Amino acid sequence: MHKIVNRMLIGAAMGLLILSFSACTKKAVPVQGGVVPSEQMQTEAPGMTSTSRIDEATWQALGLRTEPERRRFLQAMERFENEDIYFEFDSYVLLEEARMILDRKVEFLRRYPKVQVTIEGHCDERGTSEYNLALGERRANSAWQYLVDSGIDPARLSMISYGEERPVATGHDEASWAKNRRAHFVIHF
Amino acid sequence: MGRPLAVWLTLAVLVALMAWPHQGVAAERVYIDITQPNFVRLPIAVPDLQEADSSTQGLGTLLASVVANDLDLSGLFRVLDPKGFLGPEAAPGVTAAEIRFDRWRRGGAEFLVRGRCARSSTGLRTEFRLYDVVAQRLVVGKIYEGRREDARIMAHRFANEILAALTGEAGMFDTQIAFVQAKDGSKEIFLMDIDGENLKRVTGDGSTALSPAWSPDGRQLAYVSYFEGTPRLYAVDLFSGTRRTLCAYAGLNISPAWRPDGEALAVTLSKDGNPDIYLVDRNGRVLQRLAASWAIDVSPSWSPDGTRLAYVSAETGNPQIYVLDVATGKKERLTYHGKYNTAPSWSPKGDWIAYSGMDKGRNNIYIIRPDGSEIRQLTHGEGDNEAPTWSPDGRMIAFSSTRQGGRSAVWVMLYNGEGVKRLTRLPGEQTLPDWSPRIRR
Repeated sequence: MHKIVNRMLIGAAMGLLILSFSACTKKAVPVQGGVVPSEQMQTEAPGMTSTSRIDEATWQALGLRTEPERRRFLQAMERFENEDIYFEFDSYVLLEEARMILDRKVEFLRRYPKVQVTIEGHCDERGTSEYNLALGERRANSAWQYLVDSGIDPARLSMISYGEERPVATGHDEASWAKNRRAHFVIHF
Repeated sequence: MGRPLAVWLTLAVLVALMAWPHQGVAAERVYIDITQPNFVRLPIAVPDLQEADSSTQGLGTLLASVVANDLDLSGLFRVLDPKGFLGPEAAPGVTAAEIRFDRWRRGGAEFLVRGRCARSSTGLRTEFRLYDVVAQRLVVGKIYEGRREDARIMAHRFANEILAALTGEAGMFDTQIAFVQAKDGSKEIFLMDIDGENLKRVTGDGSTALSPAWSPDGRQLAYVSYFEGTPRLYAVDLFSGTRRTLCAYAGLNISPAWRPDGEALAVTLSKDGNPDIYLVDRNGRVLQRLAASWAIDVSPSWSPDGTRLAYVSAETGNPQIYVLDVATGKKERLTYHGKYNTAPSWSPKGDWIAYSGMDKGRNNIYIIRPDGSEIRQLTHGEGDNEAPTWSPDGRMIAFSSTRQGGRSAVWVMLYNGEGVKRLTRLPGEQTLPDWSPRIRR
């Protein structure tokens, strides 16, 4: 198991490196009330942060009126949705890294109280299908419990398990499996 | 859902040909004692059926190949290579008087299937006869009348008769296997005959469908689908094609298992916050909670008498198989070997529970006595082997395996682990097989 965690951490660290590198080269956005410096990791994807993809009524409902506010929201949202938490094999225990990520999600949800979240639980392919559906549910539930314990209104949160049905990495090795043992967060408003 | 997936066959057994001269003896004599450990496969010849005229061209070969394949699959027969039948023994004639038994005997056959097919008012008429080559006499004979597209089923039916005559228990070669086909990003449920032929699609939602489970009367399939967003349970009537929602509670609605009386199902729901096993009626209404713990409880499988339930619980921290006595609520842990034992399937005779166990990162199929007294490993690390399901006669196990090419397909083996054969040869991956009960279709 140690090996797995180490590889995961290395993977995550490399991910951070790559992302912060690209952030440095592409743009230097000042940290906007950031929780951690890596807030500026957001890569600039044209269209993704274009505020026109959300209509005016929705912006009003979200209580976001100025262009910088809206742009900030879109960046934070993109990060929120891109940052999964990972689990060890056949486990739904939150790792330290996962708790840090969830703390950032709590920050986001506090700052944007109109936003709702679906927590998806996922598994790697090694287990069997039905057990993995149940395990995915427990993983989503672990994240849900952490968010609720941190003061997020449970009415804003929903859960779904996809078991091993929707892998993000399709390889048949530990590197892929580690990426698939995750909870993923989807925003709706 | 489109057209019905199954129709009552207009297939009729017209005549059961006179079999034994001494009927009284026939019932008692069992040719093959399949319980003998040193059993040797019986050599049998299945030459092409004779065709009355060109209107049935190719059917004679097809019918013989279906019978031959069934017999081979059963593990009880060694089907002789038809290439050796070109000699004078292959001369026309299906009656005992016409058959050169001595020549078949010299060719190594102890049993012989002969038959003929012809066009008829219903479409197709077939006649099959099983001969004991050594005793030089007819063992069993049947005439089938039906549509031309029923040809395969006629052949499967006669293979059933061959087993009934020689082992005392009818075969189940006309049953079907439901499975999940993963292709182009979606998972759909299909049916096939037990030789992998006669494929029929059950779902077509472009979503994720899982865990097909036959009702005991073979009329309905319960299954899981995400097509309405969350994993819910549905039941489709295979004859009318109509689908209804079975369970749509909050959270998980998964792992359906019909109680053997067909009046209720054991399912896994997480509506109360944790995946537990519930008993629901035919309409999905919760009757009682069957198995619950602080941890995951999932994948129920009924004992054939409906009094007990094998299931998976992770209450010790990792998934193991347990057996629950439904009346008393008493549960006992069954598996102690390994840290990941899932997907239990209780044999139709009640004598074994098959399951998938993980060892060194690989899933293999095991069988264990319901009291835990004996355990056997049937597959040995050739790819991942999962989701065992028993044939209705309890002699075979279908399962999914990645042993060939890394992609999952449905395979079948005898319950002693021998006679492993691949059933599906399709694009994509095939998983989660569920073997039908004996059906009159």
